[in-house]
Amino acid sequence: MHHTDGAKDLEAEELEGTSRRSFLLSTGGLITAGWLGTQWAAITAAAHHAADMGASDAAAAPAWRGFQFLSESESQDVDAIAAQIVPSGATPGAREAHAVYFIDRAMSTFFAAWSAEFRAGLAEFQAKFHALHPDASSFAAAGSAIQVAFLGTVDRTPFFETARMLTVLGMFSSPKYGGNTAGIGWKMMGFEDRHAFTPPFGHYDANYAGFVPYPEKPA
Amino acid sequence: MTAKRFKANETVDFVVVGSGAAGGVIARELSQAGLTVLVFEQGPRLSPADFEHDELKYWLLSGITSDPISSPQTFRKTPADTAKLPRGPNPLMYARLVGGSSNHYTANFWRFHEVDFHERSVYGSIPGTAFADWPISYRELEPYYTKVEWEVGVSGLANASPFDPPRSKPYPMPPMPVKSSGVLMEAGARKLGLHPFPAPLAIASQPYRGRPACVHCGFCMGFGCEARAKSSTLFTMIPEAEATGRCEVRTASYVFRVDTDAAGRTTGVHYFDADKRQHFQKARAVVLSANGAETARLLLNSTSNRFPHGLANSSGMVGKHLMFNQGAGVHAVFEHEINDFKSVQVTRILHDFYDADPKRGFYGGGGIDARINPQPAIWAMAAGGDLPTWGPEFKSRLEAFPRSTMSTGHCTSLPLENNSVSLDPTVKDAWGIPAIRVTYKDHPDDLATAKFLQDRSYEIMEAAGAKKLWRERVQESSDAAHLLGTCRMGDDPKTSVVDKYHRTHDVPNLFLCDGSSFVTSGRGQPTMTIQALAFRAGDYIGQFARRNEI
Repeated sequence: MHHTDGAKDLEAEELEGTSRRSFLLSTGGLITAGWLGTQWAAITAAAHHAADMGASDAAAAPAWRGFQFLSESESQDVDAIAAQIVPSGATPGAREAHAVYFIDRAMSTFFAAWSAEFRAGLAEFQAKFHALHPDASSFAAAGSAIQVAFLGTVDRTPFFETARMLTVLGMFSSPKYGGNTAGIGWKMMGFEDRHAFTPPFGHYDANYAGFVPYPEKPA
Repeated sequence: MTAKRFKANETVDFVVVGSGAAGGVIARELSQAGLTVLVFEQGPRLSPADFEHDELKYWLLSGITSDPISSPQTFRKTPADTAKLPRGPNPLMYARLVGGSSNHYTANFWRFHEVDFHERSVYGSIPGTAFADWPISYRELEPYYTKVEWEVGVSGLANASPFDPPRSKPYPMPPMPVKSSGVLMEAGARKLGLHPFPAPLAIASQPYRGRPACVHCGFCMGFGCEARAKSSTLFTMIPEAEATGRCEVRTASYVFRVDTDAAGRTTGVHYFDADKRQHFQKARAVVLSANGAETARLLLNSTSNRFPHGLANSSGMVGKHLMFNQGAGVHAVFEHEINDFKSVQVTRILHDFYDADPKRGFYGGGGIDARINPQPAIWAMAAGGDLPTWGPEFKSRLEAFPRSTMSTGHCTSLPLENNSVSLDPTVKDAWGIPAIRVTYKDHPDDLATAKFLQDRSYEIMEAAGAKKLWRERVQESSDAAHLLGTCRMGDDPKTSVVDKYHRTHDVPNLFLCDGSSFVTSGRGQPTMTIQALAFRAGDYIGQFARRNEI
């Protein structure tokens, strides 16, 4: 096997480092003193930064003080829509993540430019639902099967697309915006909110045999 | 170190507009050559501790990018349309802070190949396009690519790809540790007889020149680096320029007009300070490195009796030939955890389809990588694809996040005269300056190339054993972060804006260097070439200054 100049040593170094760290991780998550030494400044900065963020998150997300934009009935319908977009079940859904809190905050602050349109879209949604189901007092009060069937008829509307986008953002954005309460959206999807990781990162790189150089240039 | 602060009436050797990928390099090269340099930056100077893992702010609320409230941009597909203000972030995304877009780039640092510089000669003309050769060759740029790798800091494995262009030195740092997405992509591609290799990245894989190594936090694309491991000019070139004692970076200072005298030479720039007060800064020469959108806009806004169509625009080419780099991905779900949210975005790429091939029936080529939208909220917003986008199946899709990855093609975009940055006739920014109007419609060959590479990505992920696969829609571009070609380089003043040394054909002491100088688009990872051009430009411009030729 022909090795290109300089390539072999660099790759060998990478492999050694990787496998050594993999080994250490598999035996208790320890990090070598050498690695720590080289990374300390960055880790400290990241950790301080994470702590700062934690502090500012807490300051920026005060205890819930009630809806600022949505009315009581609007908030119930929006919550019900969100709960169908990402349903609860074995793991938390949009309801447990308080996506509706995020949506209320978005409409009263950073997405306020869309709020009139959102409210009009919601009103249209409610009117359409009421026309089809005059017996139900609201979308939120209807049974799940009825909600799902109705959403299937409106899920191409701009209002639904906006509600969907806001629900997703409310589940997975930083908790400081009111949703993703205690990071449960992140936990549900398997994202780890950390500022430093070490290899191996996943299943397939744990036993990577190393990059094998190509013998020669293809024709 | 006390930072240099020029006095109000001082004439500096050079004003450099923009402190990003190109401006940072040029400022460092010129100040190290003994010249005085005043760098203007619209945005603030942030420290690593200011960078946050906040997707809403960075992706949707223009946290560090030009924002649509103070600096709106309009968009249309063709000159026949009226451009409109889009909802949400600006169509041309660039970061507005010291270090510019080198803060939020993904840091893929591919060199161009030799063919990129003379494709017109290889493939012939393409009707309806301004497809052209560059006035410089790969050989002329090679020493400067090496300079980027060593002085800015790039991790990689030299000659790992059999398609790599010749190089004079290996990379200074080994490649980043491979991720599961890279392992899978490599396995699938090798099965198909292709040649995947470790991705070169402008991210420190080990401590380098006073910066720590990457801590694998995963927030590269779209974010500033809180570890200083990303080789942004904020952490590399700018401090080295300031250390000369001859360079000042003036933040929150927005240059809106380049001034010229009766002889047609530039005398300096007009700018707004943080309080929107106007000032004038005198300079012997001016370098615009404001990016492929703002450099063109600044020239177009600098009209005078002598330059009625904008400065340096006798060719009429300023703002034209905007190129984005097309591309489309394939989503894949595998059996086991990949955790692509950890570490850098890309660890394996391949260049087997880099060159165009007339047998395909269209012009174009590109690279393929394995990657994901690594951060949870933007990933989830795009999740679904042809699967349900709400309900239990959507939730299952979300729960597959750790087992998900993507393979994406990064493609050529042809230079078309209609695709452009111009001044919007009605919309103005918060300072009263005409807004950027974007006109853009992909050439059919660009879409065909995106589709072609997407099909290859699909095959690679299939060969890698993906359990579930689906394609993104190949669609016409409506936004971009690669802003290329708007003040193209060339020997002929009738068809280009700058010469091969980045001097404008029309104004002898005005230079332009950033993505705007590109003649062709390359294959999707432009910053490496922007910085190589900047090192080369800095070298020549410094020589011109010493010989009194500015």
